[in-house]
Amino acid sequence: MALFRFSPTLDPINALLNLQRELERVVDNPLGLDLGLSGRGVSPAVNVFSERDGYVVRMEVPGMSPEQINIESHGRTLTLSGKRDSGAPQGGSFHRRERSSGQFSRSLQLPADLDLSRAEASYKQGMLTVRIPKKEEAKPRQITIKAA
Amino acid sequence: MTNQELTPREKQELTRDEQTRPGRTYVPDVDIYETADSLWLWADMPGVDEHSLELNVADGVLAIQGRVALQDYDNLAPVYTEYNVGNYARRFTLSNEIDAEHIKARMTNGVLELELPKTERAKPRRIAVAAS
Repeated sequence: MALFRFSPTLDPINALLNLQRELERVVDNPLGLDLGLSGRGVSPAVNVFSERDGYVVRMEVPGMSPEQINIESHGRTLTLSGKRDSGAPQGGSFHRRERSSGQFSRSLQLPADLDLSRAEASYKQGMLTVRIPKKEEAKPRQITIKAA
Repeated sequence: MTNQELTPREKQELTRDEQTRPGRTYVPDVDIYETADSLWLWADMPGVDEHSLELNVADGVLAIQGRVALQDYDNLAPVYTEYNVGNYARRFTLSNEIDAEHIKARMTNGVLELELPKTERAKPRRIAVAAS
């Protein structure tokens, strides 16, 4: 599978455009990957990527702290849940309220060749990233040619 | 209210103002809150850090712009996608009551927080009534 480089250093003008087209292409033509998701239009949205050694699941959940996010795995199912506080201060009133708050939970069924026990998660700039490596036997391997 | 589920909300694409660079731009979701002394604004801009954020006040218009970091997508191939990523932009017309010189901004976990202090003139004042 081709891995893309969306590096602004390689192509400062079109890096973002290329990434957006690639994300769009997958929305329009799913690669037939059945993640057993609860469906599109459920908040918060997730994106799933593949990389050389595994999968990357990404979710945009800005304004939370890592303690408010719960990540669980059960068999092949990865569940991301949490609660975003509305953080309403006291002594004033809202003019506009567009940011959503409340509880969320999303479950994904991952391919069997991934090792969920070695999954790692990070939270940066409001983006939750979970990296799930492939099982050792499923990793790409260099095969050497024996001399005859 | 506290147990309410997060309501589904698609990212809103900015379609009015054309940007000079190619690519989609999104409108960040904002909350605006008013207290006696200030207006507070929070904008959800996941993927943007404090260095890629640009705030401008000109002619009474506050312009917020944020660029997403693309390094996080290096060497990844999308296999399932529900949202697109892009830069953020949104503009607000400020009333004369805002002291543009003293606006404070802070970026935490993908949320921009702006404090827009009111001018002294615009702050509510309690007028004491003297008993006659």
